[in-house]
Amino acid sequence: MKIKVIIGEENLDQKIPEGCTVKDLLKKMEIPSETVVVKKNEFIIVEEELIQEGDTIEIIKVIYGG
Amino acid sequence: MNSCTKCGNTHIIIRRKQSGQSLCKECFLASINEKVLKNIRKYKLIEKGDKVLMALSGGKDSVVALNILNSLKERNIIDLTALTIDEGIKGYREEGIKIAAKNAQKLGVDHKIVSFKDYLGLNLDDMMAKNDQIRHACTYCGVFRRWILNREAQEEEATKIATGHNLDDETQSIIMNYLEGNINNLVRIGPKTEAPDKRFTVKIKPLREIPEKEVGLYAVAAGLKVHLSGCPYAGESFRWEIGSFIKELSINHPTIMYSTLKGFEKIKTALKKEITIKGNLGVCKRCGEPAADDLCKACTFLKDWDVK
Ligand SMILES: [Zn+2]
Ligand SMILES: [Zn+2]
Repeated sequence: MKIKVIIGEENLDQKIPEGCTVKDLLKKMEIPSETVVVKKNEFIIVEEELIQEGDTIEIIKVIYGG
Repeated sequence: MNSCTKCGNTHIIIRRKQSGQSLCKECFLASINEKVLKNIRKYKLIEKGDKVLMALSGGKDSVVALNILNSLKERNIIDLTALTIDEGIKGYREEGIKIAAKNAQKLGVDHKIVSFKDYLGLNLDDMMAKNDQIRHACTYCGVFRRWILNREAQEEEATKIATGHNLDDETQSIIMNYLEGNINNLVRIGPKTEAPDKRFTVKIKPLREIPEKEVGLYAVAAGLKVHLSGCPYAGESFRWEIGSFIKELSINHPTIMYSTLKGFEKIKTALKKEITIKGNLGVCKRCGEPAADDLCKACTFLKDWDVK
């Protein structure tokens, strides 16, 4: 299924399998989940949340090393 | 499991691995506010009538701290002002300064911006160009920022300087100083500094027990405008290595930062009895600020460059 992913200024179209969670998506994109806050359709969600067709996922990096 | 432990709201924004607690946005924000205010009371960080100078970089930590401290200002418990230091890091610092100003303005907090350039004649980029990589940028940045903060606090007649240090920062400092064998610095780590005399303004860390990730979540959940970007000089410092290491460990051991802090608090009392911190500070011959030797650390660096 297709979803939209926003990271900073970037707007990406991503294809993910059914039953994919936020955690799975971050893993696939190689983003450490402990450094980001994730919104689904403008609401903050936890990483166990399921993603569905057409969702917009915004990944906000809040921790920058050090 | 999928609803807020406190109010039952099904829209949770955090699941705390440490405690098993799940929280909705409102309950999460309230829990951080309560925790910070509780620690302020517990460690007597602030007393009624204090004039607090917030070191406001525009990053998530200082913006969140400013917002929570502002609740004390609104209740007429403290007087609050904010200071932003422009270190002069091209392509990075400008945005943070703008955001800092916006936050202060939004809350109606007096805000002052001072720069390395005006104070020292050099900005951080200039220093690094002169430096031949002998010292890490963070060393200069830290020393000069502390120096300017203290001077500004004295000028503003502030009784406290608040900084945005979070649990991750504090744990890093403990581990770093321990690993480097820097026990004199280790025993000084705490929720507030003990100023040896009036020439030093007491520094407080209201967010010291809040994990960095939760400070970030707070900023996003509260809809605060913060500067989210990494300092170009931050990489490859020893602090950065330690920080990455502890964060990595925390994934499988979610309580490790808190237990490091709490364990340190227990041995600190005993350590302090054994280690006498150098007292009787003199005065820097160059700038008049308190100094352990003839020159303060800032002036030792400045003398090498022979400016001002
Ligand atoms: Zn709730
Ligand atoms: Zn000096």
